[in-house]
Amino acid sequence: MQQTEQPQHNADALLDRWHELASESLKAWTAEAEGVGKYVAERLVATQDETLKFLKLSMNAWSAIAPNAGADGQEHFGTQMEMLRQQFLQLPVTMDKVTKDLGELWRLYLVETQKIQQPWAESFRQAPWHFGETASGPGTALVQMGNLYWDAYERTFGRLLESPSLGHTRELHEDLLKGFDAWLEYRRASFEYQVEVAEISTRAFEQFMRTLVARAERGEPVQGVRQLMFVWIEVVDDVFAEAFRSEKYIRIQGRLVNSATAYRVRERELADAFLKTTHIASRSELDEAYRNIYTLRKEVKELKKMIQGAKAHAPAAAVSKSPEATA
Amino acid sequence: MQSPLEMHPEDMVHELVELNRKVAKGIENLSHIRNEDIRVGFSPKEEVYREDNIALYRYTPVVEKPFHVPLVIVYALVNRPYMVDLQENRSMVRNLLNLGIDVYLIDWGYPSRGDRWLTMDDYINGYINNCVDTVRQRHGVEKVNILGICQGGTFSLCYTTLHPDKVKNLVTMVTPVDFHVREGLPNLWAGCELGPQGMDVDSLVDAFGNIPGEFMNLGFLMLKPFQLGLGKYLEMIDILDDEQKLESFLRMEKWIFDSPDQAGETYRQFMKDFYQENKLIKGEVKIGSETVDLRKLRVPVLNVYAEQDHLVPPESSIALKHYIGSTDYTLKSFPVGHIGMYVSSKVQRDLPPTLSQWLTARGS
Repeated sequence: MQQTEQPQHNADALLDRWHELASESLKAWTAEAEGVGKYVAERLVATQDETLKFLKLSMNAWSAIAPNAGADGQEHFGTQMEMLRQQFLQLPVTMDKVTKDLGELWRLYLVETQKIQQPWAESFRQAPWHFGETASGPGTALVQMGNLYWDAYERTFGRLLESPSLGHTRELHEDLLKGFDAWLEYRRASFEYQVEVAEISTRAFEQFMRTLVARAERGEPVQGVRQLMFVWIEVVDDVFAEAFRSEKYIRIQGRLVNSATAYRVRERELADAFLKTTHIASRSELDEAYRNIYTLRKEVKELKKMIQGAKAHAPAAAVSKSPEATA
Repeated sequence: MQSPLEMHPEDMVHELVELNRKVAKGIENLSHIRNEDIRVGFSPKEEVYREDNIALYRYTPVVEKPFHVPLVIVYALVNRPYMVDLQENRSMVRNLLNLGIDVYLIDWGYPSRGDRWLTMDDYINGYINNCVDTVRQRHGVEKVNILGICQGGTFSLCYTTLHPDKVKNLVTMVTPVDFHVREGLPNLWAGCELGPQGMDVDSLVDAFGNIPGEFMNLGFLMLKPFQLGLGKYLEMIDILDDEQKLESFLRMEKWIFDSPDQAGETYRQFMKDFYQENKLIKGEVKIGSETVDLRKLRVPVLNVYAEQDHLVPPESSIALKHYIGSTDYTLKSFPVGHIGMYVSSKVQRDLPPTLSQWLTARGS
């Protein structure tokens, strides 16, 4: 592609400005819609939004690759994909930062408790290597690094939290801790899931770029914005579909769903415990009531059927005893 | 090598202006459409039986002498059954009525929190059986024909096996039978290989009670996230200024997102016994106190599947032949996807006559 830096810059600025204007005006229009219409209108705005963002991403990626598409094109392609990978991984990294901050608080606390400081020191000792790998390698390094912190937490503060509680709030305290554990597990699973999706996204984008090149070689360049999006959608859904079938992905997704539901169960236990101190019926109490109603309803239905059956037989029996019937 | 992106800023601007104009015009159209304007379910019908949240409808026959044996449609618990009568020119029900079939439909309604404890036994030996009895009594017939769709087909297989004296012919449509077919992403995600590690169903039901429709929807959208979340709306831009096509799109959209919650205990059994442990084809599913042994299913069966079905893979439906005792078994397919079975014009044209002829040949 014979694109210079200046036109690329202009295209970027144009897309940014266009994006801004389109989003504002379309959002204002959707305010009038309602129900399904509103939902669809919002999806249209979001689609427009995604199209423009994606267009920018694609053009930037290609403009970086294209000038070097000669002998060392593969290397530039790899470099560009690596940059994209880092972009896709931004979300989990940001998310992980929250976790690290929490870890940092615990670390400070643990400085005061020399006895259990050692595992944290160990994790920090190992961290630089993982940081290095994360910066240049696949997302698994990010997960490994995250795991270091989680393991350290479990061996220190987590273990401390697990020690038996005392006093009249013992049970509630126990529930709180279990809830916290469930929440941590959900965070970990969520982090791992985000990293996995970022990895799949990177692969999808790689495949997308290869598809574009293949099209160009066949003399079928992409000539419009929407055409570009359709090519992207076709490629990316295939890559995702393949990844979604892998045992690795299913395990990660399973962990996410299972930890989310486990946390929700703990959350409800806590809510129940708090509601117990008020005059408000808890979810569990309502469920119990519903179960009783369900059982009673079923019994009533069975009894009704029995009565109907008995009634149906009764006239027949009466008729059979009547002189006319026997005659 | 030619550049893969032959897009110049001025062309892009032109295309984006055009795109935006269409979107703006479309949104203007959309803003005038109220929820009640998106009408679904066209054929006239009357409610003939109601129990708890479910209703049995009879569609008004359009021929003087409908078939002697009525047809009861058993739809899935997932999504709403008005899909079979979505709009006038896309109505399987209307086409069946035109061919003289007397059509009944079980509408499962929207399970409330109070329905959380409903089991598959309640659905199959309770609701379906009571509906079938109602139809039998109304028409003075011993047996009815059943058309089971998707999960409703699986329920119908169980029902027919357990109540062979009440079913004359069984039609299954896009019905999952072998739940361990790898081609089906829903099978894999539901834990057909990993069990609770893929999905801890007990935890899910314990956490939610009834399984929220939104959760189910998210799962379906995730099967093709970009096509269903982005591509569909990009394609829609072309029909925004066509009122009729836009209305059709909105009807479909309404149906997709009109997802009832799933009764917790029924969901638990369906996911664990069918998806995770594949008990239906092993002859181990228990409905109430009875075990479903498909070998005892001996009524004539017409099994219809979609060749490009990404929800119920063809192999999952085709497997039925190997497990039932029926000697009168017919297999029919259409070159469409799962949803195409309801809306494709080819299916609309060919399926009802196929079904009608098949039933006629079997004394209906």
